Amino acid sequence: MGDWFTVRTWASDFSQMVADNTIGKTSFSGYSDTLAAVITETIMAVNVFAIIMGTILVLLWIERKFFARIMDRRGATMAIRSLWVGEGGEHVDWYDELPFGAGKPIRWLNGLLNNTFGSSSKYETVDRVNDRGYHGIWFLLPGLIQNVADGMKFMTKEWMVPAKADKFIFEVAPFLIITSTVMIFAFIPLSSEIYSANPELSLLFLMAIFGIAPLGVFFAGWSSNNKYTLLGGIRSAAQLTAYEIPLLVTVLSVAVLSGSLNIIEIVEFQISSGSWNLFLLPLGAALFLITMVAEVERIPFDMPEAEAELVEGWWTEYGGMRWGLMFASEYLRSYAACLLFALFFLGGWEMPFGDSITNIIPNQDLILGSVGIGLIGLAIGMRSEYPALLAPIPLVFMSILPPVAWLLFKSWVLFALFVWIRASFHRIRTDQILEFGWRWLLPLSLVNLGIAFWLRLSAWEGGEWPLFVPGLITAIALVVFVILGIDEDTSELEGRTRPYSVYTGEVGPASPRSHEK
Amino acid sequence: MVFSLGIKTRGEYAEEAAQQVIDAAIVRWQGTGLEAEVRNHKSGMARPYVYIKCPRNHWRAVAKWLRFEMGADHCSMITGIHWPDGPDDCKWEVVAHLMRMNVINPPERGGWTKQVIRDPKILQDDDVPMEFEVSISIPDTRNPSVQSVQEVWMGADWNEKETWDLVGIDFEGHENMRRVLQPHDTPVGFHPLQRQHKIRYHDFEVMYDDAQGFGRKAIDEGKTK
Amino acid sequence: MGPQHPMTHGLWTLKVKVDGETVVDTIPDLGYIHRGVEKICESRDFTKITTYCDRLCYASANTWSHSYIYAAEDLLEVEVPERAEYIRVIAVELQRIASHLMWLGAFCPDIGNLTAFVWCLREREMMLDLLQELGGSRMHYNFPRIGGVKRDLPIGFAMRARAKIKLFLDRIQETEQLLDESTVFLVRTQGVGYAKPEEMVNWGVTGPNVRAGGVNYDVRWAHPYSVYDQLDWDVSVERPSIKGADSYDRYRVRVDEMRQSALMCLDALNKIPGGAETHYSEGDPMIISKAKERAEEGKTGFHHFEDSRGESMFYMVGGGDQRGKHPYRISIRSPMFLTIPYASKCMIGYKVADIPAIMGSFDPCIGETDR
Repeated sequence: MGDWFTVRTWASDFSQMVADNTIGKTSFSGYSDTLAAVITETIMAVNVFAIIMGTILVLLWIERKFFARIMDRRGATMAIRSLWVGEGGEHVDWYDELPFGAGKPIRWLNGLLNNTFGSSSKYETVDRVNDRGYHGIWFLLPGLIQNVADGMKFMTKEWMVPAKADKFIFEVAPFLIITSTVMIFAFIPLSSEIYSANPELSLLFLMAIFGIAPLGVFFAGWSSNNKYTLLGGIRSAAQLTAYEIPLLVTVLSVAVLSGSLNIIEIVEFQISSGSWNLFLLPLGAALFLITMVAEVERIPFDMPEAEAELVEGWWTEYGGMRWGLMFASEYLRSYAACLLFALFFLGGWEMPFGDSITNIIPNQDLILGSVGIGLIGLAIGMRSEYPALLAPIPLVFMSILPPVAWLLFKSWVLFALFVWIRASFHRIRTDQILEFGWRWLLPLSLVNLGIAFWLRLSAWEGGEWPLFVPGLITAIALVVFVILGIDEDTSELEGRTRPYSVYTGEVGPASPRSHEK
Repeated sequence: MVFSLGIKTRGEYAEEAAQQVIDAAIVRWQGTGLEAEVRNHKSGMARPYVYIKCPRNHWRAVAKWLRFEMGADHCSMITGIHWPDGPDDCKWEVVAHLMRMNVINPPERGGWTKQVIRDPKILQDDDVPMEFEVSISIPDTRNPSVQSVQEVWMGADWNEKETWDLVGIDFEGHENMRRVLQPHDTPVGFHPLQRQHKIRYHDFEVMYDDAQGFGRKAIDEGKTK
Repeated sequence: MGPQHPMTHGLWTLKVKVDGETVVDTIPDLGYIHRGVEKICESRDFTKITTYCDRLCYASANTWSHSYIYAAEDLLEVEVPERAEYIRVIAVELQRIASHLMWLGAFCPDIGNLTAFVWCLREREMMLDLLQELGGSRMHYNFPRIGGVKRDLPIGFAMRARAKIKLFLDRIQETEQLLDESTVFLVRTQGVGYAKPEEMVNWGVTGPNVRAGGVNYDVRWAHPYSVYDQLDWDVSVERPSIKGADSYDRYRVRVDEMRQSALMCLDALNKIPGGAETHYSEGDPMIISKAKERAEEGKTGFHHFEDSRGESMFYMVGGGDQRGKHPYRISIRSPMFLTIPYASKCMIGYKVADIPAIMGSFDPCIGETDR
């Protein structure tokens, strides 16, 4: 399937036309190509920046909503329901108390909502406690503009520089962090046609710029003249340095496997060789995930900003937009991490099973497009009485989706995984983080590099992977994962006798699952 | 006549244990002016406790005896009371509450510890948990003090700091005495729980009709509660 | 780690001397919310003091007001009807569950897990609803009266309490699983903050902290009061390592204590004299008995009580103002007052990042510490 969303081609055509018609007609016509290039690059940079900044709101939305679902709290949107639903069968007609009869339309609305969405919840006795159901509302108010409101708040808040702080470095640090973060996106291609800069060694550039931010973090922590931030900055510097190395080695293994240091070529390799790198280097994917979570300082590697002892860590003394920019940079780096994972391991902008479908149905762009739209109309008209008719709709829809949308979807799903990890884990202590990074991740990343070498040099004969290679590797990885997931060290756990277990009433060797009896 | 199998109730074991302490005290501290008796709680379950009236200069020795021979291993509270209108020999009083818990470190068995589980129904004599109340009277003086028992129980450390901080009773031999509940820069000699310091409405002398005491109705002039 | 700090569980300062990231010395500094409760109570009627005692430890208000009431009944020589004792036990144990849930809800974010915070508070909502039915408010109930309780169990309370406690027992498993099976949690809390029972008791630490050390000492059976010996319950004891009880043991003890308290409530609802469904009106002799109002000079009363955090004690001396209507002196023993110095000593040798893990596991509540 070709990429019809060829933004770069459009941009360069457009800018060539502009250049030809402006400079080309003057005496500086030798510079028309330069002007065309400048205009193209400007357009592309703005496009990429706009796409990223626009879709980061989705990321923040995912974080908030998914986190809230996991934590089982309704949040403001769902709690709106409490305005018309009573507790325990009792309603409080609060709207009748409003002056000037302002409550009458609310009373009408109340009745309407009660009739449509129900006026009581399932449990009589414990109805104040969530039961993780939808409670009748099928839509979720977006909440996407929440972060716009946050941005406005940051802009209007006071920021101050502590009296004894090192003023220059204090003000340079957020600058360093946010600019290096935004520069990362210059090198991340969003599809084969949407990218801002694509040097031959784009991966190298990317990783180099990714590593500037730890410097800014350390500057921020040290210059605030605050013992807490100094501790946070030191921890952060140590942690990020420790995890850069396994990260770089893992990325190197991906580059070795794909045969190039250019990200677009890495993705092209995955597309052309018929298997995503995830199935060829599962260990590498896991390592990349862990090191990236550590690099973007999310829980469980949250120590530098640990609220419990360091208040806010290395950015305690920052307020207003300075802090807002650094907070945004944290999410931008997470976004970059998710995008990179999708690019390196999940086939980038390729539709899942893309070439299988291509092989089955040739020449499908226009045919499938029109068939699909017709089916959609049919299904809506028949009110979905024939669900089987709906099946090809996603297929068709997917085929007309531009590849950039695939990349973004994959990165969003991955970010949901990041949020899931964040909700479930505790913070690991700094020395444990460092021990984990140096003693476990580094050797594993070297092993992964070795596997990549072997795959590229011995197992790959050019062209496509024989099917059993990724299949075998994935199967081995799943088996190992399952084995590691089973409670190890049961003998030690058995040794810790749990107190008199409530349900069995006997003292016995117990494991954390003893309460399930 | 009821034929008893010799099994006593818990309360009886406790009474016995308390009486044993009293007997030991009488034997040990004869002639020093120490008084000991078994008292009972007056509500709920009648639990006996040991009440000891200790002369001032024997406090540390009695404390050590209680700790090492009677097994009172827990110092619950040491507090002080100011009796400006009391009898001459008891203008200040230090009351110490101790408990015998018989808590020992769990023994080691093969690399792990074995829990110490005690069944309350079968405890007797020295094993019975016991409450002690020790009362030390101090005659009239501007600088009341007793000996410190900081090295007998570590729990006495902060209790004594609090007593000095709030009541003003000093503890001889106490290291690092400092203000612990009041700010560090409280004026020297200010100990709020002494009776001469009054908080507003302490004696309910006048009648006000708001809690802050700012407003007062004319009709209530001169009235007391 | 000064008074303004998000996670010190209250208003106090801990001065920490660090060498890199290792803690070398600690000095706790208390007294920021010293409200002078002991002095105030010298000029209050016995019934008015209950409200002050609720506010001593605001997270565990019922246990403190009951602690005071038992001491006051000792001073005034009052006999309490048995039904009232059962109601008190229900209130105290529900409060214990709520207090431990609050502790767990605050302990987990200390270590980094925000999910358990919300889950624990969700369960706590159920307990607070039950306590609201009993006492009238969600936090400071002023529930017991000298001689009994304020109100009887409301109609339908038994059904709701049983349903909520059963739901709680199911739900606490989830939170437990989230924590117990997370290697990160185990790695953060095991091996951190070792404490041995003998030393703890010498320092004045009691309660779940000592039970985490492997000794089953509990004031409820050692110096029994109320109807605890008629209820079917076990003391929650952990089996620690040779070096002592670490934070993980203290966490496990409290989770099990929650279960035991829940079972105690269910048992009390079954065994309450007069039945759990009958409702006696206020002032009925089944739930409250007439009490004296004055305590003459020379009388004293004290009571050791098992609070959520240890052993609390009230010592009251009669003969105060208004010819005995006020106590002459009331002395409050707070378990946390002696646990915080001990916990500060426990931290020496560990990392700065372990400070919240250790401090949180000892469950400080500064309201009762500072009185």
